[in-house]
Amino acid sequence: MVETIEIEEQIKHTNAYACLECGKCTSVCPISRYSRRYSPRILLNQALKNDYDDLFQDYDLWSCLTCGKCDEVCPSGIHYIDLTQILRSSALAEGFNGKCSHAGALQSLSRIMTGEQLRQNRLEWVADDMQTAAEGDILYFVGCAPYFDVLFSDLDISTLEAAESSIRLLNRLDITPVLMTDERCCGHDLLWNGDVENFKRLAEHNLKEIEKTGAKTILFSCAECLSGFKNLYTDYGFSVKAELKHMSQFLAEKLAAGELQLTADDTNVTFQDPCRLGRHLGIYDEPRQVLTNSTAQPAGSTNHFHDMKETGKRSLCCGVSAWMNCDLTSKTIQTERLRQAHDTGAEVLAVACPKCQIHLTCTMKDKAVSEKYGVRVRDIAAITLERMA
Amino acid sequence: MVQIEELLGRKRLSFAFEEGDRGTHPIGLVEPSPCTRACPAGVNVKAYVSLIATGRFHEALEVVRQRNPLPGICGRVCTHPCEAVCNLGEIDSPVAVCWLKRFVADYELAHPQAIPEPISRTRKEKVAIVGSGPAGLTAANDLVRLGFGVTVFEALPVAGGMLVAGIPAYRLPRDIVETEIAAIEHLGVEIKTNKPISGEKAIDQLFDGGYSAVFLAIGAHKGLKLGVPGEDEFKGIIDCITFLNEVNLSKGKKPGDKVIVIGGGSSAVDSARTALRLGSDEVYIVYRRSRKEMPAHEAEISAAEQEGVKLHYLAAPVNILGENGKVTGMECQKMKLGKPDSSGRRRPVPIEGSEFVVQADTIITAISQGPDLTNLPGDQGVELTRWNTFAAEEESMATSRPGVFAGGDAVTGPSTVIDAIAAGHVAARSIVRYLNGDPLVQAEIRGEPLESEIKVDQKQREHKKRTSMPMLKVSTRINSFDEVDLGFKETQAVAEAQRCLRCGPCSECFICVPECDKITAILTSPEKQGECIFRLPHELLPSISGDGPADAAVQAGAKKTIPFQVTPVIPWVREDLCRGCADCVDVCEHMAVTLISKEPALSSNEGEYISVANVNSDICRGCGTCVAVCSTGAMTPGYYSGDWLPGRLATLVPGKKNIVVFACHWNGSHPDDEAIQNIGGNGTHIEVIHTMCSGRISPGLVFQAFELGADGVLLTGCSPDNCHYGFGAKQAHNTYGTIEQLIHLVGIEPERIAFQHVSDSNTAAFLDVVSEFVQNVEKPKPRPAKSRKVLVQ
Repeated sequence: MVETIEIEEQIKHTNAYACLECGKCTSVCPISRYSRRYSPRILLNQALKNDYDDLFQDYDLWSCLTCGKCDEVCPSGIHYIDLTQILRSSALAEGFNGKCSHAGALQSLSRIMTGEQLRQNRLEWVADDMQTAAEGDILYFVGCAPYFDVLFSDLDISTLEAAESSIRLLNRLDITPVLMTDERCCGHDLLWNGDVENFKRLAEHNLKEIEKTGAKTILFSCAECLSGFKNLYTDYGFSVKAELKHMSQFLAEKLAAGELQLTADDTNVTFQDPCRLGRHLGIYDEPRQVLTNSTAQPAGSTNHFHDMKETGKRSLCCGVSAWMNCDLTSKTIQTERLRQAHDTGAEVLAVACPKCQIHLTCTMKDKAVSEKYGVRVRDIAAITLERMA
Repeated sequence: MVQIEELLGRKRLSFAFEEGDRGTHPIGLVEPSPCTRACPAGVNVKAYVSLIATGRFHEALEVVRQRNPLPGICGRVCTHPCEAVCNLGEIDSPVAVCWLKRFVADYELAHPQAIPEPISRTRKEKVAIVGSGPAGLTAANDLVRLGFGVTVFEALPVAGGMLVAGIPAYRLPRDIVETEIAAIEHLGVEIKTNKPISGEKAIDQLFDGGYSAVFLAIGAHKGLKLGVPGEDEFKGIIDCITFLNEVNLSKGKKPGDKVIVIGGGSSAVDSARTALRLGSDEVYIVYRRSRKEMPAHEAEISAAEQEGVKLHYLAAPVNILGENGKVTGMECQKMKLGKPDSSGRRRPVPIEGSEFVVQADTIITAISQGPDLTNLPGDQGVELTRWNTFAAEEESMATSRPGVFAGGDAVTGPSTVIDAIAAGHVAARSIVRYLNGDPLVQAEIRGEPLESEIKVDQKQREHKKRTSMPMLKVSTRINSFDEVDLGFKETQAVAEAQRCLRCGPCSECFICVPECDKITAILTSPEKQGECIFRLPHELLPSISGDGPADAAVQAGAKKTIPFQVTPVIPWVREDLCRGCADCVDVCEHMAVTLISKEPALSSNEGEYISVANVNSDICRGCGTCVAVCSTGAMTPGYYSGDWLPGRLATLVPGKKNIVVFACHWNGSHPDDEAIQNIGGNGTHIEVIHTMCSGRISPGLVFQAFELGADGVLLTGCSPDNCHYGFGAKQAHNTYGTIEQLIHLVGIEPERIAFQHVSDSNTAAFLDVVSEFVQNVEKPKPRPAKSRKVLVQ
């Protein structure tokens, strides 16, 4: 039997008991749209009935993308994704887990990274001509891109391109960013996987390392790392003193200050709002400003930039979260997203998160998809570096 | 217990076995491959091709010998019906099965093995076999192995029948025939040459002389007449059997300068090529149908053409011309092809007024042959057919006279060596039943070849080309009787055998039988032929019991006998997880995995379709490499699920040096537990986890092992050119490259991971590499203070 009292106590904080059973959550849920058996409303109800034994064994407990569309529309202000997280940590503690992609390699690597005495070789990608430092005001948090590029070498993309481009952009703006040799996985994915204990260990380690650098600002290319630091670390009682920014925010600021000059480019581009950057952190305008080379309020469509059918708060997620339950439903969501990108006439689908880049590119391995909706998926910093005057 | 047959639609065997014994669980399934079914003699083709592919040549030859006592002979002259049904033939060209058989026979000549002991006589009955051709030799071989006394009577001065009297030495060297016959003699068969059975009471005399049964396998050595005017009038007309006999048994001389051979079968082509070798200037083959209908094998026809034989198709003799008692030529008539006749070939129809003359000084007739009954005149009590062949029951080879059996060309008219061998098997079986007093029940009924389910897009797929046979230069061969086909080199044989798709999941080679010494669950009875067995690793157990690897009984090594049904090693696809990325399709060089197009159940957009992976279970061999590359886990392994790993690693001992060894089960990785644990001594725990192939290993498995407490992870597998599956070890190398990069990135010391080759089922070598690795891993690595709970996905 599962310890129900403790879970109930946690669930209270998600407002779940205020559920009106209106079903708005299910009506906007991308998983529900393509998987008939999945319904956040029913899952929540099961949780309220203390039906944990069944729930923990349910594949669909691990299907939620935690993209936050449900939370946006809930009239009762329920934090459904937090409920998901609570249920998952309880389930994981009981020995259940989702279907881990890549035979669990990414979860294992993240957990291995909690090892205190580990000596990673994670900065070998830094080229000789890049200016970086061990201490300084601005720190660039690389994230797991070096690992991704090895594991996903078959995808013909480089998620490290975002990091390389960011360093070069910063250097061109006369900034020598700090890179940490002993940076660890931010823990975002482990937390959404339900592994609170190892998430905390990673958070603690990262914050300790950052402290040593004296950084006042931390820049991220990965929207998940940013949301990890900004939301999750705080939620779990860690205090993050530095200012936290996504590269797109930083670039938008530089654009507004006139420090960043970009040349015109007639490549047709559209933008994938990462759920972490958009709905989790409310950052929608800055990436568009950078992509349209404009400091004005984004209009949704300019000469060479066109937003997709579902955009901003309504944006469709990249289909997989925390390297779990990657399946046909994920692929169908991704295919739909690629179709929407294709419909804008875009040649390049700009992303602000390596997960979006990996997942959407992976879907195109199916020739049936790539022949119809093929598009180049690139990080916003890489695009910006090329446009830099 | 779940009926897996119903669940998965495949036939399976059930066994009782003892839980707790490691590495000795068998798997069975029933379904011979098309080639095996096509072989008239029932040779397990797939098994020996598979063994050749892994360099196990002697074992391959043993598999051939189980059903064919003349491998070196058949490896040269067999018409190989197995190749005609080979699924690979639909993609490019079939596996060169026949030449592979020749290779292993030649290999044994070059690398002699201990000669088997003569079979001791356990039955008092003696059997007389008349004729020492392939039918007689096969029956003799079968009977002597069952303990009977066997005497073979041969009218000619040498044994072998048509093998030596008919087939020329450039196709079948005499030493090969002699060696294989000597091996049969060595077992205890007595062969009496120059001993024709003759006279009106010939068969009676055999029974009177103490023989309890007789097998008439006298072949078809009498050439049939053309039936055209002039045939008996002139000198210079000879039938092919007389001609070939003269050449083959004594020293032949040039038949003439300008020779016409009439006929389209092997004997015709053999006669023509022999005449050329004896110095004839011009040799023509005249055949009344077109080339397509010629019964001789295409390779022989084209070899004859290369050597200079000219072919006249669609022409039939109508008159033999001569002067002064000698042949001067032949008048022919042109033919066209009409409707198919009873043989299925199109009937030749004469074209009026199309007669023409071909000049020649010699005419060799090779239209057909029948048994030569000169020595067996009168009523021997054995009924004949209207073609003067022995009338024998097809299923039992029994003639009208009790105790007398007949088979081979003497029953069928001129046919193939492999058909004669098949007849020899049937006759031997019937003779045993007759002598046991059993009814002469039907001989083994062979099923129809499996219908091919392979659908491979040739454009997308590249496949290795068939290895061509090295041949003697034309200029050399037309002046001698040296063997034309030179045979494969070892590397060529292995490469050719590796082209095999191994249709059907198990090769049924039975070499697992001696390995399975703890549990006698492997079925070897001849009646159970076709039921095949696989040694499976311990990991199979939990999938059957459904209790997971952490099942207390297993952990404790408890022994209890439970009924046991085995899942196949074939993976299946969870379509709800498949993303159609084709990684599995790309990695499977057996081409067992394809993508199929499906209407999606989920999409909201009309006209969209999705790709889903599909495993062809007739081709798949269960190596699990596709499982390793599947990113979502849709490809569900048939025998080693990564989900079991946490359970296996729950046995790691805190405080000890824990070494996890992933071992390909083909390479001698089954030493007993004690030998393994002795390697490291008390301070070390070594956990060996078997997979079917090192290709099954994924980075995820290795990192899970590290995460769950391994101090070192050793992968062992065959070298890529020695992989049982042909490509699994190659993929394992790619995977290991990825693992090495990740290990470097995350900062685990390089000594803690290694990939070592162990080949040829060498247990000592396996223990050596484990030992070396254990020494290299110095001390426990730093790892998370608290290990996580065992998870069940």
